[in-house]
Amino acid sequence: MTSAAVENIAVTRFREYLRINTSHPNPDYAKASEFYKKYADELGLTYWQVELPQNRVVDLITWEGLEPTLPSIMLYSHTDVVPSFPEHWKYDPFSAHKEENGDIFARGAQDMKCVGIGYLEAIRKLKTAGKRFKRTFHVTFCPDEEIGGLTGMIEFVKTKEFEKLNIGFALDEGIANPGEEFRLFYSERNVW
Amino acid sequence: SLTDENPWWIAFQSACKAANVELQTEIFPAATDSRYLRKSGADMIGFSPMNNTPILLHDHNEYLNEKVFIRGVDIYCKIISALANVEV
Ligand SMILES: [Zn+2]
Repeated sequence: MTSAAVENIAVTRFREYLRINTSHPNPDYAKASEFYKKYADELGLTYWQVELPQNRVVDLITWEGLEPTLPSIMLYSHTDVVPSFPEHWKYDPFSAHKEENGDIFARGAQDMKCVGIGYLEAIRKLKTAGKRFKRTFHVTFCPDEEIGGLTGMIEFVKTKEFEKLNIGFALDEGIANPGEEFRLFYSERNVW
Repeated sequence: SLTDENPWWIAFQSACKAANVELQTEIFPAATDSRYLRKSGADMIGFSPMNNTPILLHDHNEYLNEKVFIRGVDIYCKIISALANVEV
C-alpha cells in the first residue's frame, strides 16, 4: 500500500520522543536534552539550558522575534511522565506502537509529549511558510512536574534566567475530551 | 485575568474559531506547574488539542490517534500566529 508509505514528520518526531523513557523514579533527562538539542538544530532554532539545584535542568528552544524586547510567550510542557505497569499494557509503554488506525500507544502520549512536539511542529510549519513574528517564543521543557515541581518549575521561576524571559503569556497542558469539544482551563490571576 | 477585554484571550479565542475548535472552558485545577507560572504574574491557558479522545493520562494503554495529533499541530499554528501579534 503506497498510502501508508510516508509518515508525517510530526508523527515521526512524536514517536521518537515517546520512546525516550522519562518515567519516574529515574527519568532519562540526559537523553531528552540530546533530543531537544538535535531538534532545535533541525528547525534552525536556539537550544539552551537553565541549570537548577539538585542536578536538574530546564531545556529551552527559542524562536526569536523581530522585536525581542516585547514580552515573550512561553510554550510550556514537562519532560517527565508518571510510572507505568507494562503488564497491563497492550504494548511496551515506551515503544510508541502505532496501530493500523493511527492510535499511538505510549506513556506520555496524552500527558504531555504530544503538546511539546505540537508546539515545535507548528513552528516548523510556520517557519517553512516564511513567517516571522514580533514576539519571541520560548518552547520550555521542565523536569519533575509529575512529582510536584519542587525540583523543577518552583526552582526555575526563582532564577535570573526566568526573569529575563519577560513572559507575557504562557500555554500549559489541558486534558483530553471524548467529545467533539476541546477542554480549556483558565484562571483568575493570583488566586493562590 | 482572562476577561473578555484581555487581548491574549481574545486572540486565543479567535484562533480557535478560525480552526473550528469548539471550546469548553473550565476553571483550572491546582495540580500542574501552571500554579507556579501564574504566581510569577504571567497570564496563561491550559490547553491540549485532544478531542474525540478518551481521558487516559496516568492510565494503562494511554494513546493518542495520529490524526488528532496532526490536527493539533495545525491548531497550534493558528494559536501561535494569533498570540504573536497581540498588542499589549
Ligand atoms: Zn502533565
